[in-house]
Amino acid sequence: MEIARIAEDKLGEDSPMLAVVAVEVGDDAGVEPSSLEFCLEAVLATPPFRGARAEILRRPGNVLQVVWLEVDDGCPDD
Amino acid sequence: MAVRTIDVRERVMARNDELATRVRARLAAHGVTAFNLVSSPGAGKTMLLERTLAAVGDELAISVVTGDVQTQNDADRLAVHTSRLVQAVVTGGACHLDALQILTSLDAIDLDRTRLLFIENVGNLVCPANWDLGELAKIVLFTVTEGEDKPLKYPKMFQNARYAVITKTDLLPYVPFDVELAIANAHRINPDLQFLQLSATTGAGLTEWFDFLRGAVPAPVA
Repeated sequence: MEIARIAEDKLGEDSPMLAVVAVEVGDDAGVEPSSLEFCLEAVLATPPFRGARAEILRRPGNVLQVVWLEVDDGCPDD
Repeated sequence: MAVRTIDVRERVMARNDELATRVRARLAAHGVTAFNLVSSPGAGKTMLLERTLAAVGDELAISVVTGDVQTQNDADRLAVHTSRLVQAVVTGGACHLDALQILTSLDAIDLDRTRLLFIENVGNLVCPANWDLGELAKIVLFTVTEGEDKPLKYPKMFQNARYAVITKTDLLPYVPFDVELAIANAHRINPDLQFLQLSATTGAGLTEWFDFLRGAVPAPVA
């Protein structure tokens, strides 16, 4: 849920459509990546995320952080 | 469609850690030492606290926050042994306590009359390892009915704990548990981990446990 909170904070009031949440998970982070992916799949299927997907990036060490979001502003490319 | 990337780089635990810092500051302002008791389910956290409250609860002015996924059974058990408030946190499904829950619990505890705070975490050797609750140290309980390889299977918990207590030592004659091997395994993960061994049932090792607690708690203000 903390990952969802961080994503919501970064999306801000404009609330563009979230497409991807990228999370770095260290090998020593104490987090099972497949379990995290499963949880995020459930959370990201609900509003306000409307079907975004998670991208789990395995890293050495104990890092556990949201690294980037991919959003769709819903307007045509220039 | 205009797809863009937002750089975030925010640690997932950042907000919890900020709240844990507030817990730590509040406890320090009142001269309270806090220990976070962690273990797998059934390792004997509650029974050890029962014996501790009964023996030195008044002497060390101990308050307790308990966390359980459901029920406040542990808090009810502990309340029998103390006149002080036992604050129950029912996590409602969450597998660990977080710093916000502890910060909120402190509002209900008379910190001026507390010298030692025990946080009895949810029984789980995985998730509680990651959550700083503002404690002085994590104490991991490790019972002789568990395998000696628990520290190797759950390294993060043993890495993040400062103390380990081997519990239920009265069962050692009946189970194939090699204490020395268990300690060696734990020290492979965390060479600085300090061990105590006890049985809350027979009382063996409790004197050392109480002395350890006395040494961890600042002297009362005259």
